[in-house]
Amino acid sequence: MTFAEYAWLIPILPLIAFVIIGLLGNRLFKKWDGGAPIAIGMAAISLILSLIVAYEALTGDGTPFVQSLEWVVVQGGDFAFTFNMGIYIDNLTALMLIVVSIVSTLVVIYSLGYMGEEGGRKRRYYAVISLFISVMLGLVLASNFLQMFIFWELVGLCSYLLIGFWNTRPSAASAAKKAFLVTRIGDIMFMAGLFILFVGFKGNLDFDYIFNNLDSFVGGDSLLTLSTLMLFGGAVGKSAQFPLHDWLPDAMEGPTTVSALIHAATMVKAGVYLVARSYPIMVKTPDTLMVVAIIGGFTALFAATMALNNTNIKRVLAYSTISQLGYMFLALGAGGYIFTKTLDPNVGYMSGAFHLMNHAFFKALLFLSAGAVIHAAHTEDMRLMGGLSKKMKITSLVMLIGCLSIAGIPPFSGFWSKDLILAAVYEGVSISPIFTVLYAMGLVTAFLTAFYMFRLWFMTFSGTPRDKKIHDHAHEAPASMWVPLAILALFAFGSGFAYLFGLNTAIVPYGVFSMEYASAGTLLVNMFTDSLTYASIIVAIIGIALAYLMYEKKTIDPARFTSGAVGGTLSNILLARYGFTKAYDWFGLRIVYGVAKVVDFIDRKIIDGLINGISAGLIRSGSFLRRAQTGFVQSYAAVVVAGVSLIVILLFLMGGVI
Amino acid sequence: MIPIEYFLALSGILFIIGVLGVLSKRNAIVVLMSIELILNAANINFVTFSAYYGGLNGVVFALIAIAIAAAEVAIGLAIIMNLYKTRDTVSLDEVNLLRW
Repeated sequence: MTFAEYAWLIPILPLIAFVIIGLLGNRLFKKWDGGAPIAIGMAAISLILSLIVAYEALTGDGTPFVQSLEWVVVQGGDFAFTFNMGIYIDNLTALMLIVVSIVSTLVVIYSLGYMGEEGGRKRRYYAVISLFISVMLGLVLASNFLQMFIFWELVGLCSYLLIGFWNTRPSAASAAKKAFLVTRIGDIMFMAGLFILFVGFKGNLDFDYIFNNLDSFVGGDSLLTLSTLMLFGGAVGKSAQFPLHDWLPDAMEGPTTVSALIHAATMVKAGVYLVARSYPIMVKTPDTLMVVAIIGGFTALFAATMALNNTNIKRVLAYSTISQLGYMFLALGAGGYIFTKTLDPNVGYMSGAFHLMNHAFFKALLFLSAGAVIHAAHTEDMRLMGGLSKKMKITSLVMLIGCLSIAGIPPFSGFWSKDLILAAVYEGVSISPIFTVLYAMGLVTAFLTAFYMFRLWFMTFSGTPRDKKIHDHAHEAPASMWVPLAILALFAFGSGFAYLFGLNTAIVPYGVFSMEYASAGTLLVNMFTDSLTYASIIVAIIGIALAYLMYEKKTIDPARFTSGAVGGTLSNILLARYGFTKAYDWFGLRIVYGVAKVVDFIDRKIIDGLINGISAGLIRSGSFLRRAQTGFVQSYAAVVVAGVSLIVILLFLMGGVI
Repeated sequence: MIPIEYFLALSGILFIIGVLGVLSKRNAIVVLMSIELILNAANINFVTFSAYYGGLNGVVFALIAIAIAAAEVAIGLAIIMNLYKTRDTVSLDEVNLLRW
C-alpha cells in the first residue's frame, strides 16, 4: 500500500476548491465562469487519485487499509475513550470512490453547459458542489462511525443548500427544508444507534475495532439489534425509503445537475453505503436484516407505482431512484438474512453494491439527459414534449441506453445487478415465505420500471411534437454537456461487465465470508441456464412492449387507465403520492405543532413562570424593605443605638468578655 | 478619695443625655452638641480609669479625643453652614433627600 497513504487528499482537494471559490471575491470569478475550472480541476485530480487508490485496494488481498489520527482523547479509567479521525479503505470503499468521483466529476463538467446562464450565482453553485463532493468522499473514506456521522450531516447540509439553490422560488425553499427535516428524522435514529454502539463497544467506534471485536459487545443481542435497526433508520431517511421517502420527489426543485449528483453519487447512496458498511454487525442481527429486506422490497414496488402516471420528467426519475434504492436494500437485507440462516456465501451483498454502482452510472446518465432535454425545451412537463429525437440525436440515444440499462435488458449494466438481486432474493424462498412475496415484488417492480422508463422515453423523444413552439426552440446540448453524457453512456452500458471480471470475488464483506473465484464463462453459463434470468428479462420486455403500444403505436389508449371511477381514483391517488405529502403536512401541523405548543406552554408558563415569580417576589420584598431607608439621620442613629444596646445586653446575658 | 462609681455614674448620665439629644433634637447644632457630650462622657471614663489605675495612657487618649472632637466640630459646623446656605434650614426633619 503506497498510494493509499495519500488517500486523505481525495476529500481535501475538492474542499480546497470550496474554500477558494467560496471565500475569494466574486469579481475574480466573473471571467472564470464562477470558478468552474477550479472545481473541475480539483474534482479531476481527486478522481485520478481515487482511481489509483481504488485500483490498489481492489488488486490487493482484501485486507482493509486503516490509517488514523487521535482526535479526542478522554482519559479516566472505565470511562476512557478515544475518537479517531482516519481513513478506512476496503473493496467497498474502493467501489464507492470510483462511483462518487467519476459521477461527480462528470456532473461538474456538465454543469459548465447547464448552469452557464446562471450569472453571479454560479460561484455559490460551484462552491457548494465542491463541498458536496468533498464530504461524500470523506464519508466513504471515514474510518469510524462518528467520523462517518459528521460527514453524513455535512452531506445533508450540502443537499439542503443545493436543493434550495434557486432560493427565491418558494417551492425550492420549502423543498430544501423538507429534505433537511425529513432526513433529520433518520439522522436522529442514526445517532441513537451510535450511542448504543458507543456504550456497547466501550467507547470505540472504529470500524476496524468493531468488526474484529463483535463479540465484545456489552448489552446482549436485543440491544445490538436495536442499534442496527437504528442505523438502518438513518439509512431510511437518507436513502428516501418508505416511510421517509417523500422528500426526494420534492428535491427535484434543485438544478438537474444537483438531482443527478444527489441521486447517483452522493446523498441517497450514503444510506446504502451505511448498511453495506455495517454489514459485519448486521449479520449478527437477522431481525434487522429482515426489516431491511422488507422495507427495501416494499419501497421498490411502492415507488415504482407512483412513477407510472407522473408527467414531470424529473419526478419520474426521482421515483425510479427510490425504487432502485429499494432494490439495493432488498439485496443487502435478503442476502444477509439468508447468510445468517444458511451460513453459505451468497451474492446479496455483492449485488446490492453492484447495483449501487450501476445505478449511479445509469441514473446520472438519465438525469443529465433529462437535464439536456429540459435545457432545450425549457419545461419539465412530458406532455409538452414529443418528437425531440430528431432535434437531439445524441441525447435521445444516450437516454435510450440509460433506459435499457435501468429496465434490465442484457447486456446493459442494470440487467446484471438486477438479475443478481432477484436471484439472491429467490434463494430465500425455501427459508421463509416472505421471500416469495419479496421476489414477486421485485419482479413486478422490474416490469413497472421497464414500462415507466420507456413511457418517459417515448413521450419525450418519439412521436409527433405536441407543442410546436417548444419543438422549434429545441436544440442539441453543447459539447460540455453531451461529452459527459457520452462517457456516462459508456459506463451505463459497460459497468455491468465488471461482474464477469472479478467483482464477484472482490466485493464481499471483509471478515464475514468470501466468494469462490469463478471464471467469466462459468458465471455466464450459470446465469443463462437459470430460468429466473429469463423471467426477469421477459417481464422487462413486456414492460417495454406495453409502453411501446401505449405511447408509440397508440393501439392502447393510456386514457383508458385514468378514466372511469376506479382508474381515475387510482390515478389520482398515485398523483397525490398515496397522500404522503398530506400526511407529512398533517403530521407537521397536528403532531409536531401540538407538541411544540405543549413545550411552549411548559417553557413560557411553568419554567418562565417560576423564574419570573422568584424575581417578582424579590422585587416586591425589596420595595417593602427599602422603606427602612427613611432619609432621617436620627432614625439611622436610633438603629445604631439599638444595635449597640442589643450587643451590650447580649454580652451581659451570655457572660462574654465582661 | 471620691469612689470611682460617682465618676462612672456622671459619665453614664452624660452619655445618656447625649444619646437622647442625638435621637430627639431636630436642630442640627444641638445634635452636634449632644455628640460632644457623648465624647466627653467617654473622656471622663478615660481620665477616671487613668487616675485610679495609674499610668498616663488614659489621659493621653482623652487629649487625643479632645483634639479629634475639635476637628470634628469644625467639619460638622462647616456642613451645617453649607446646609443652611443651600436649604435655609438647620432642621434635620427637612433634610431627607437621600431616601427611598
